[in-house]
Amino acid sequence: MKRLNLPKEKTFIGPALIWKRIAAFFIDMAVINLVILFPFRSLFRDIMPKDYNFSEAYKILSSSADYTGFLTSVSLVMSILVLLYFWMLERKMGQTIGKMLMRIYVVSSNKDLKAWQLLARNLVFLPVFPFILLWIVDPLFMFFAKTNQRLSEILSRTRVVEVYSLSND
Amino acid sequence: MKPAQGPSFRWGYAIFVLLLLSILGFMAVGVISLFAGIDVESLSGNVALIPIEGVITGSEDSEFIFESVTASPDTIELIEKADKNPSIKAIILEINSPGGSAVASEEIANAVKKTNKTTVAWIREIGTSGAYWIASASDHIVANRVSVTGSIGVIASYLEFPGLLERYNITYQRLVAGKYKDIGSPYKEMTQEERELFQQSLDEIRDYFVGEVAKNRNMGKKEVDKMANGLFYLGSQAKELGLVDEIGGKDEVIGYIEKKEGIKAEIVEYKKEKSLFEVLSRIISRQSFFVGKGIGNSLFEKRDASTLSITT
Repeated sequence: MKRLNLPKEKTFIGPALIWKRIAAFFIDMAVINLVILFPFRSLFRDIMPKDYNFSEAYKILSSSADYTGFLTSVSLVMSILVLLYFWMLERKMGQTIGKMLMRIYVVSSNKDLKAWQLLARNLVFLPVFPFILLWIVDPLFMFFAKTNQRLSEILSRTRVVEVYSLSND
Repeated sequence: MKPAQGPSFRWGYAIFVLLLLSILGFMAVGVISLFAGIDVESLSGNVALIPIEGVITGSEDSEFIFESVTASPDTIELIEKADKNPSIKAIILEINSPGGSAVASEEIANAVKKTNKTTVAWIREIGTSGAYWIASASDHIVANRVSVTGSIGVIASYLEFPGLLERYNITYQRLVAGKYKDIGSPYKEMTQEERELFQQSLDEIRDYFVGEVAKNRNMGKKEVDKMANGLFYLGSQAKELGLVDEIGGKDEVIGYIEKKEGIKAEIVEYKKEKSLFEVLSRIISRQSFFVGKGIGNSLFEKRDASTLSITT
């Protein structure tokens, strides 16, 4: 009997598991915090209130228009750097460091990934209205959507996927 | 579709992006620090230290950009900021000033009196005249044994040039609408009547100054009046006269605050930081001013010591 030369492994692409997405996100945040946002630490160390609870610190910071303006601009610069991290890596490779480690990646729902799609899916990082509204809604959406997509992923027509394999052995 | 690049390329690119963005981060922090002009005083302290240094003026527009002056609007802003900050329990005024504008001194003294916080004046090398006026508005004054203080009085001075003009056959043409319009002009001799008018104004300012010091220090006006002859006193003498409360330095200042407020004092300096942008724009605006005015004219202005000024 002639033996069929079938591939040993059968693969297909499906939505990435939520726990992998969450793990990838925390890895990315750790990397961003350690490397990209490192220079901002000394800046914050000098100006942020210490030894106060949240409400006291909030009261102190909001008492000065200078501080609130300064903190808003610094947060904006930091979020732009975060946005650039996701945009640059996903644009070139479809993966950030966290996604590389979790073996998941970003694809377009229709054809090739466009720059605007990657920008749109990551705008949630900007701490300005209306994106700030997405901070809670966006990740929550992932738990209820069949495709495990965030709201901004649906809007930007992108998906985070992983390769599943079925062994024939 | 699965990423096509090999793992070495992907890791290499990821490291490149991280490096690039961290460099951008460093640059952004540098630019923000330079141009933001934010007061970087830490909010971790509970005692604000505000310097009163150099000549006290009504504005920061001094002749020299890096000269140490105390501009009343800036100092008042710092005092108000410290007053609004709930974590600040006391304010130290670190005084090292010979005084200056009577108006500016009174403005700062009023701001000190308005605060709800404990205020302590710490006189270092010198705290005379207008600077003492400010110190007197605080709750407690600490001075070194050999600090120079007091000098309660008012001075107005100018140079008179009529003799010089006469020598060079230059005539001062007096065209005034209003009898006293050119009072204090350096080009003519002051008349006896003008001198008396001037003296009267100076006496009034001095009288007000004495009254304020007496009120601030809970002393009799006559008592202060006796000391207000323009003479300066060493810290030890000032203590005997009741012009200062305690002889000492920083330790004594902290000790007083800790005892009064029942806190462990953590001092934080409140200082008006000038951003690079402010310094540059000030240089440019002054240059533009002198170009517009004419260099000769501006040089004349600088030498114009004859301009009458009243200072405490």
